[in-house]
Amino acid sequence: MASGEPINVIILGAGKGGTALIELFTSCAGVKIVGVADANPDASGLQQARLLNIPTSTDAASLIARGGADLIVDVTGDPAMPALIAERKPPGVESLSGNAARLVWSLIQDEQELREHLVHTEKLATLGTLAASVAHEVNNPLHWILGFAQLIQEEKKPAVIKEYAQEIVESVEQLSEIAKSLSMYSQASYQGEPVRIQLSDQLDNAVKVAKFATILDEVEIIRNYAPVPEIQADSGDLIQAFLTLLVNGAQAMKGRGQLTLATFDKGDLVTASIHDTGPWIPPEQREKLFAPFFTTKPGGTGTGMALYVVRSLVQKHGGRIVVESEEGQGTTFSIQFPQSNRA
Amino acid sequence: MPLWPFGMLTKESPGLGRVLVVDDEENVRKIVRLTLTKAGYDVEEAEDGGKAIEVLNSGENPLMVDVIICDIRMPRINGVEAIEYFLAQYPSIPIIVQTGYPDLQLSTSLMKQGVVDYLVKPVERDKLLSAVEKALERRSIFKF
Repeated sequence: MASGEPINVIILGAGKGGTALIELFTSCAGVKIVGVADANPDASGLQQARLLNIPTSTDAASLIARGGADLIVDVTGDPAMPALIAERKPPGVESLSGNAARLVWSLIQDEQELREHLVHTEKLATLGTLAASVAHEVNNPLHWILGFAQLIQEEKKPAVIKEYAQEIVESVEQLSEIAKSLSMYSQASYQGEPVRIQLSDQLDNAVKVAKFATILDEVEIIRNYAPVPEIQADSGDLIQAFLTLLVNGAQAMKGRGQLTLATFDKGDLVTASIHDTGPWIPPEQREKLFAPFFTTKPGGTGTGMALYVVRSLVQKHGGRIVVESEEGQGTTFSIQFPQSNRA
Repeated sequence: MPLWPFGMLTKESPGLGRVLVVDDEENVRKIVRLTLTKAGYDVEEAEDGGKAIEVLNSGENPLMVDVIICDIRMPRINGVEAIEYFLAQYPSIPIIVQTGYPDLQLSTSLMKQGVVDYLVKPVERDKLLSAVEKALERRSIFKF
């Protein structure tokens, strides 16, 4: 293997450990997964591997014998596996099992913890940007309430007083809507438990919060929701992911254009997509989009972590994120979940 | 009661002065209109910066407007852009900003550019009235 070329890796075991390995290795340029095996055909790691077009097998022995790998990582926990690997592996292939594999696994767990902290930090950062706009959104209805109340104090005609009182009632309703959207966001953010979720509902919830994060006054929101099955997911994670994509889309269009939200069910994938009519993203930038600290926003306005976090959140649910962009056609971000996430 | 700016007497309007309120929220315009009309002013309305410019340039003498009350966050031409235009084209018309954003940096920068007051919503009636009075005094200084 020449240096600079990726290490071809086979992962044995597609449970929690194997899934985490897939997640980590797919975001590492220096590692290429050439196969994943698990005796259980429904193991979460196998589903994710299929989604990523990585060859899968339910028979570890045949995958090992097939060759094409530089390294075999065994996270099956099966005491018989090291012997099987030694017997079947082609010469020159290294393997990682037993304590060495456990060491890798504990490093990965550490890395995952860091990622979760990062996600949490990103959510807090979002809340921070929401705060300024919330002040604006709240001050408007407060202004109407104060204004109409002071007009009532001087008004003698009952019909007019009634009209102003109605305006106050509507302003209060608007305030309570704002409170509802925000508490929905913060509750969902800290719930952390997978629940049954309709993707279109989460897209709508994200739109409600997005107007606090960016200016949507001149963005037309188009909804193309085809009926899709509910999926099992953490609602806070999904809102965060959709919110990031909506805000990015609106900002890419400089606040003017169309955002098309869609849900559809194709093959064995449940998909939610967000399309913006902003400038296209050339291929060389598209590759870097999800890398940490990559930002196209002018100095200091973007952390470069938002899309990295989106991808982490999507991968955590066994899904993947795809970006398509053509000159003059805008950009579409699609989040695809395997049917196994069906609620 | 404010002093009647001298120039006012030559105008068609018999009121205390003519105020243009620029805000995309109908309720905000309504409150300003009702509050100021009760106090003896005439009120013109515009829902965004573009409409405000139209009102000011609508063939009538732009000097018919004595005070502009302008929001910041509005669709199309936003408040900052509109205010820049007002200050450049009609430097004698005092401008009051009335916004939901308590933005110290923006308020300082706008006041430096010549905006007479920066009111953060919710704005009490008396605060609005005294801001308009203050603005009119400034307007009358320009007149002499």
